[in-house]
Amino acid sequence: MNSRKSYLTFDFIIILAVLCLSVISVCFIYSSGLNSEGVNTSIEFIKQIIWVVTGFALMALIIYIDYKYLYDFAYYIYGVCILLLIITLLVGNKVNGARSWLGFPGIGIQPSEFTKLATIIALSAFCTKNRENIRSLAVFLRAALIPALPMALILAQPDLGTALVYIPIFLVILFMAGAKIRYLFFLVACGICVTLFTIIPMWSGYVLKQETLFVAVFSKQLLMLAVLGAGILVIILSAVGWFVFKKELYYWLCYSSVIFSSSLFLAMMAQKILKAYQIMRLVVFLDPSVDPQGAGWNILQSLTAIGSGGLVGKGFLQGTQSHYHYLPQQSNDFIFSIIAEETGFLGGIFVFLCFFIIIVRAFIIANSSKDSFGSYLCFGVIAMFFFHFMVNIGMAMGIMPITGIPLLFLSYGGSSLWTSMMAAGILINIYYRRYGFKI
Amino acid sequence: MSNKPFENQSIKKERMFFLILVVCVVFAVFSGYLFSMQVTRWMEYQNRAWAVARRTSEVPALRGEIFDRNYDAPLASNVDSFAVSIVPAETDRQNLPQIISNLSAILGTDSDSLMKKIPSSDVFQSIELKDNVTYGQVVQIASNIEDFPGISWSSKPVRHYNHTPSLSHIIGYVGNINSEELHLLYNKGYDANSIIGKSGIEKEYDLLLKGNPGLKSITVDAKGRNVQEERYIRPPVPGKNIVLTIDRRIQELCEKALGERMGSVVVLKPATGEILAMVSYPSYDTNQFYTPDSANYYKALLENGNHPFLNRAIQSANAPASVFKTIMMTAILEENAFPPAKTIDCTGKLFLGNRIFNCHLKTGHGPLNLSDALKESCDVYFWEVGGNYLGPKKIEQYSRMMGLGEKTGIDLPGEVAGLVPNPDWKLNRINEMWVGGDTYNMSIGQGYTQVTTLQIADLIAMIVNEGTIYTPHILKEVRDVVTGEVVEKRTPRILHKADISSHTFHELKKAMRRVVSEGSIRRLFNNKVVEVAGKTGTGEVGYLDRWTSWFASFGPYQAEKPEDQVVVVVMVEASNEWEWWAPKASNAIYQGIFADQSYEEVVKTLDIWYLNNGTDVIRRRSE
Repeated sequence: MNSRKSYLTFDFIIILAVLCLSVISVCFIYSSGLNSEGVNTSIEFIKQIIWVVTGFALMALIIYIDYKYLYDFAYYIYGVCILLLIITLLVGNKVNGARSWLGFPGIGIQPSEFTKLATIIALSAFCTKNRENIRSLAVFLRAALIPALPMALILAQPDLGTALVYIPIFLVILFMAGAKIRYLFFLVACGICVTLFTIIPMWSGYVLKQETLFVAVFSKQLLMLAVLGAGILVIILSAVGWFVFKKELYYWLCYSSVIFSSSLFLAMMAQKILKAYQIMRLVVFLDPSVDPQGAGWNILQSLTAIGSGGLVGKGFLQGTQSHYHYLPQQSNDFIFSIIAEETGFLGGIFVFLCFFIIIVRAFIIANSSKDSFGSYLCFGVIAMFFFHFMVNIGMAMGIMPITGIPLLFLSYGGSSLWTSMMAAGILINIYYRRYGFKI
Repeated sequence: MSNKPFENQSIKKERMFFLILVVCVVFAVFSGYLFSMQVTRWMEYQNRAWAVARRTSEVPALRGEIFDRNYDAPLASNVDSFAVSIVPAETDRQNLPQIISNLSAILGTDSDSLMKKIPSSDVFQSIELKDNVTYGQVVQIASNIEDFPGISWSSKPVRHYNHTPSLSHIIGYVGNINSEELHLLYNKGYDANSIIGKSGIEKEYDLLLKGNPGLKSITVDAKGRNVQEERYIRPPVPGKNIVLTIDRRIQELCEKALGERMGSVVVLKPATGEILAMVSYPSYDTNQFYTPDSANYYKALLENGNHPFLNRAIQSANAPASVFKTIMMTAILEENAFPPAKTIDCTGKLFLGNRIFNCHLKTGHGPLNLSDALKESCDVYFWEVGGNYLGPKKIEQYSRMMGLGEKTGIDLPGEVAGLVPNPDWKLNRINEMWVGGDTYNMSIGQGYTQVTTLQIADLIAMIVNEGTIYTPHILKEVRDVVTGEVVEKRTPRILHKADISSHTFHELKKAMRRVVSEGSIRRLFNNKVVEVAGKTGTGEVGYLDRWTSWFASFGPYQAEKPEDQVVVVVMVEASNEWEWWAPKASNAIYQGIFADQSYEEVVKTLDIWYLNNGTDVIRRRSE
């Protein structure tokens, strides 16, 4: 390995983008801590500075360690994280209704954040190992178990938003590893159907304010069971038809019936498990004016904050929506709103640009990596970064439902920042070793 | 570990391309959406943010004060007072009935009526519950403010009138704007909370007096707490002070001279048209409108059969009676209708067809020339000349020339025009032909002719000015509240300029002087300070023992400077027992004005014997 060459190929662009985001993060967490008199009432920004500094140290550490060790220890890392999640579930601290914290209040960690990275590593390793028969259903199902376990544990906390991140991670890695499109599509279709079936009853209750037969299918217990039974019957019959006649038609009939039936089943479960406010968030996303003082409040206030920022913003520390505490969770989920309010469109676009650069660089790194494992890691990180970006900023702009997941690099919080920093470190690590990585 | 996992592998380029496409599309859509929010629809959100965080409230402007011509003590001023309001969104809904009940106990009002004003929706707009709240009551609320969530108060000065009752008609009063007024005046800076002049000067010059309310902005946080100093977006502009032409000394004098008799008095300066006094009885106390019992007081006034709200000087018209003979004399002289020196023999009656017209002196005046006829107010003379030599057309022409049948344009609301009849009018209105008797009646100011007291004052002013009437006015000048500087000064404006020779007016004035110095009222006019010329009038209104009493006059008869002259017109309605009061009151008014005496001093000086025992006067119709 030629160290001089490595230095030249060090990815400074990503580091620069991360640095920009970190500075913005500290500045606007400071801003969000101001109250209406302009007095700082929060030490969050000081903590964030500590997270940023330690985060860069962690990033450096990750860059230093050859990522092949990640391959070797992938399942151990994954195992430790799963263990932490289980411990969290047993003895964790409750914050905002979710038992997601481990440690003491204020200085604890959120294992669910680190588990994302662990899952990416484990999935990448699994796909690398099973590259030859990645198209088989058995491998696909086994791969699905890797994110399913942490998802289940996180849902039990319960933290729907964080749990959702595992889906795109899984989909993207498997997609790039070469899994069959129909399996992936099956998951996507199921996800969409479950969401729809779950929220339809509540949506009709608040928005339509009337009950129709179509809605009753998704809300009346008995009717749901009957429809589910019919669905299973169709599955069995079409499966028999396929085995007997070997006609493609029966395969696709069975395929769509399974999507429908399992979605219906999961929706029934979801309606039981999910809290009313979580479903309500989705309903409110469809129509914020349903509940302007309750769940819709957040969206409306966020929209107002962003929109009133204008082209150049109200100026640093000059935001009114945030400082008068119209915005909830302003240092966390709604950090983008305050940035957009105070720095306007130009500031918002700059943030977009930073994320875009990081993601584009990640694609380039994935492409330049000489081994599958590195590529899969990159795609996992891309999925994570992009999903967080899309859902969080989409939520702030009112084009995505409120799911309460942080904006990586910007939102206040040590665990998510560290996870992001380490993820960026992995990208740099892969790029750094793109030529010389040979064992 | 084998090398197998790290073999050269090829990523499926088309799948990666798909992912890159998804990422690019999402970034593009987000950027576009952000642009549309922050740049294209910026105003919309800006307004929403403004609306949420800023509350603007109006700061009432201090209403201008009203002074009399001496500009020393205000007749209408403002007294500190408060209004108590509620912001429904900030109050405690569950305990609202209790809160309002406690509040009404302090304010001394009915809690149901307060509850009715509170909307059921949680609006952030402040709603006024009660005005005219004293400082003491506000202190009581303030010291227990935690018991009154959402309740606030603001300064809302109340109008206070410090004047003699007879000025109520002129100054008027103010009140909350009603929907009709708001509808009409919406574009002139009024809103639903405006205080507006309801009558008199307060109404006429409301735009000057009211000023412009300021706008104050308060920035509030999510819980509605003030988070910034109150800031004036627009400071309130106080209204202007108004100085009236009224002299409150003369006003009081006239008021007392008229006494408790239904009628009106107008004193004006013919040289400028300035009204020095204008009294209408009965009157009302405007301060009563700002007391808790105002509703009952107002109702009682409305139900009063004597119509206290009516300003009888300008808002009611009566027959001018013999005062009209001044117009007749002008017409006769100017038209050369009948030689002024030629006499007509009054036998006490006149036949017209089969009707008999009786002169007020049944025994007859004997032969009279024009001047004598005016002095004696002989009906027969004017019937004869009016009916046979002038005719209704000329009489109407001169009536109009001298300001009758038309509003004077005084700066007070609700003036009436009166009426000058003519044959066409009678045909259209009553569907009857004009007959000789109508001309006779018209000639002595009876019949259909209707005039206001102010029109008669203007008529006398024309005689004094020999052809010119200046528009009568109450406003003297407008002054700045702070500096006291005169902002605007009312200059005399010509209302009518009659093309009548000064010789005619000269003769008329001489005759009018004879009315006072030689006529039957000479005994009443016992003041020594001023020579008065005038004309009496006695209107028949259907009673046998009561007549409307007029006395229209000016003095001094001969003045070096026309500005020194005043016109005094007194009209006492027939509803009072006839006691020849108009000339008596005029006598006292002249004494008061020119000797600078109060009414009490006038009574003492003139030793007016009829004041205490009016019954001594011979109850006869004599002019």
